[in-house]
Amino acid sequence: MIEQRFKCPNCGEIASFYGDPGEQTVVSCAACNSKGRITIPTSGQNNNYAIEVSHLTKVYGDLTAVNDISFSVKTGEIFAFLGPNGAGKTTTVEMIESIREPTAGSIKLLGRDIKTQFNDVKEKIGILPQEFHSFERLTVRETLVYFSNLYKKKADVDEIIKSLDLTSHKNMLYRNLSGGLKQRVGVAISLVNDPEIIFLDEPTTGLDPKARREVWGVIAGLHKKGKTVFLTTHYMEEAEYLADHIAVIFKGKIIAEGTLEDLIRNYGKSSTLHIKKCKNAAEVIEMLKQEGYDEVSSEGNGDIAIKIDYKERVLEILSHLRHDCIEYESLDIRRSNLEEVFLRLTGSKLTEDKQ
Amino acid sequence: MNFKIVWMDFIYSVKGWYRSRGGMFWSLAFPVILILLFGAIFSGVGSSKYTLYIQDQDQTEMSKGFNATLNSTKLFNINIVKTDVNVTSFIKEKNIKSLIVIPKGFEQTIKNSFMNPSARVNLSFYFDPSEQTTTQVIRSVISSILQEMNKNLSQGRTIIGVSEISTITENFNFIDFFLPGMIGFTIMQGAIYGSIERNTKYRKDGILRKLLTTPITRSEWILAKMLFMMFLAALTTALITIIGILVFGMTVNITPLAIIILIATSFLFSGMGMLIGRFVKEEETADTAAGAISFPMMFLAGTFFPLEQMPQFLQTIAHILPLYYVNEGLRNSMIYMNQTESLINGAVVIIFAAVFFISGVLLTKWKED
Repeated sequence: MIEQRFKCPNCGEIASFYGDPGEQTVVSCAACNSKGRITIPTSGQNNNYAIEVSHLTKVYGDLTAVNDISFSVKTGEIFAFLGPNGAGKTTTVEMIESIREPTAGSIKLLGRDIKTQFNDVKEKIGILPQEFHSFERLTVRETLVYFSNLYKKKADVDEIIKSLDLTSHKNMLYRNLSGGLKQRVGVAISLVNDPEIIFLDEPTTGLDPKARREVWGVIAGLHKKGKTVFLTTHYMEEAEYLADHIAVIFKGKIIAEGTLEDLIRNYGKSSTLHIKKCKNAAEVIEMLKQEGYDEVSSEGNGDIAIKIDYKERVLEILSHLRHDCIEYESLDIRRSNLEEVFLRLTGSKLTEDKQ
Repeated sequence: MNFKIVWMDFIYSVKGWYRSRGGMFWSLAFPVILILLFGAIFSGVGSSKYTLYIQDQDQTEMSKGFNATLNSTKLFNINIVKTDVNVTSFIKEKNIKSLIVIPKGFEQTIKNSFMNPSARVNLSFYFDPSEQTTTQVIRSVISSILQEMNKNLSQGRTIIGVSEISTITENFNFIDFFLPGMIGFTIMQGAIYGSIERNTKYRKDGILRKLLTTPITRSEWILAKMLFMMFLAALTTALITIIGILVFGMTVNITPLAIIILIATSFLFSGMGMLIGRFVKEEETADTAAGAISFPMMFLAGTFFPLEQMPQFLQTIAHILPLYYVNEGLRNSMIYMNQTESLINGAVVIIFAAVFFISGVLLTKWKED
C-alpha cells in the first residue's frame, strides 16, 4: 500500500488515499463532497508534489492578505505565482518558507508538514528572499562559502560560481556589484546546499531588461537540472517565458491556474489577425462582416484587426482577400497574452511599470 | 549548538569589519583620537616645561633665593610679574594658568621666626583647576622646596606655607579619569550600533529571513555576534590602554574584574541595541534613537567629567544609568584599584546586562508577523 495525495479539482482540498500501485478507485472530497476517479501511480511515480498548500489563509487585523488558497507544485516544474504588488504573493511564499505564521491552512514541503517538520526540510530548500541584499563586505565567493557552511549538504561553490557566470566577479565585494549581479549572487546563495526546491521571490524586480534576461537564463538552467522552482513575479513576460504552471493571485485569492496555454485558452481572447496597410480597408471590413466575421475593426491607416477563433479561419480570410484581389502590405497573427488574461479576469492591468 | 558555525560566523564578521573603514574608525581610531585630544587639552601634554609666573612683592635676598631655587629645578619657564601689577586682573587678562605671589615681609617674617615661633608667612598659589597635571607638578615642587627650607630654618616647623586659591581633592589626573570612561563609551557605541545594524538593516535586507530558512539557529547566531562584540571590546581596551601607558605614562591594571565588566558591558549594550531595533524598525531612525540615548548618557554618566562637577539632580540621574556603573567599575578596577567599589559597580553592570540582554533576546525575533 502506498500513499497518494490528490487535489480536489473543485475546491482545491488536498487529501491522501492509500492503495496498491496501479489501482484505480473512486474517491470523494472531504471538503466539498464531489467525487472523482484516481489512479494510484506505479512505483517511482508517487510523491510527485514538491509543494502542497491547502486552505492557506493569513489575516492581519481587518485585512485578509491571503484568503483560503490551495495549490500544488509538481516536482521539477517552474511554478510562477503571478500577481500585482500587494496581491499576497510574498505573504504566501513567506508562509511556505516558514518565515510567517499562517492564520489557517496547511503546507507540506516534500511531503513534510512544515509546522512540525520544517527543520527536516531546511537542508533541501534554497531561498532568495524579496529585495535580498547580502553582507556588504564579503566577496562573492566568501558569501557563498559562508552560506554553504551553514548546511550539512554542500554543493561545490566554485561550480555554482561557474554555472552562474560569476567567475570574473568572485573576488569582488558584494556591495560593489551591479543590481543584476547581486540578484545572480542571491540565486547562487540559494543553491549552495544543492536544494530540491528553490524559492525565488521577485528575483528580477528593479532590474533592467538585460539583467532580467540574465537572471531568466539562470532560472531556466535550474529547470534543466530538474530543480523545482517556485517563482513569484509581477512581470507577466517572466511567467510566460519561464513557467510550466502559473497561478494568478489577486487580492489574496487565486483567480486562475494552469499552463500558459490553459490560461489563454480559458481566459484570453482568441488570436487576432492584423492586415497592415490594406487598400480599400472600409470595403474589406464590410465584406468580412458579410462573410460572418463579427469582430472586425479598423485600426486606422488602412490597418484591420479580425478576431479569429481557430487557425483555419486565417486561410479562409486569405482566400477572400486573394479572390477579391485586395492589396495589402503585410499580415500578422497575434496570440492573446497573460496581460489580456489578467485584464479580462480582474478588469485591471497587471503592471504599471512594464519595462 | 554547532560551534563550527558559530566560529565561522565570527570569522566572517571580523573580515567584514576589517574591510569597513567606518567600523574601524569608530571602534579604533575615534577613541584613540579622543584620548589623545582630551588628554592633551586637559593634561598639558606636549610641554616638558611648565610656565610659571612669579610676583615677588618682597624683593629681598631671601625671596630671590626662593625664585632661584625654583629656577634651578629646570622644570619651569619662569616669568616675573612686576610688583605694581594687580594679580587677579593679570591672571584674567592673560589667561594665566599658574602664578605664585611672594608677599611683602617674606624675609622679615622668616627672620622674626627665630624669635617668635608662631611667625608664619604664606605664599599664594593661583592655579587653573582644569590643568591638573601642571598644578600637581608645581604643587609638589613648591612643597618639596618649602619643606627643605622649613627644615633648614626651623628643624621642620612650618614657617613658610602655601595658600591655594582652589582646593583640589582628586589625587589622580584627568587622563586617569578619562581613559576608563573612553573604554566604556567605545564599547557601548560598538555594541549598540552593531546590534541595531543586525536588527534593522539585516531585517530590511532579508538576511534574517534568509537565515531563518537555513540550519543556523538564532542562539548560534547571537553567540557568534557576541563573540565578535567581545573581540572588539578586547581590541578597543587593549589599544586605549596602550595609548594610556605609552603616551600618558599611566598605570593601568587589566584585572579579572575589569574583564568581567567589559564582557558584561558588551552584553548590556547589545541587549539595549536589540530593544531599540525592536521598537524603532527603520535603520536610520533607529540610529538616531541610539544617538539620542547614548549621547546624553555619555555626558550624564561621567564619561568625560567627574559627576561631582555636575548639579545634584544630574548626579541623581547618573545613578540610574548603566554606563555610570560601567565607567565607575572600570575606573575602580583599572586605575584606582578600589576593589570593593569595583565589585559593587561590576555587580550592578552584570544585573543591568542580564536584564537588557535577556529582554533583548526574548523580545526580538527573526520571524515576520
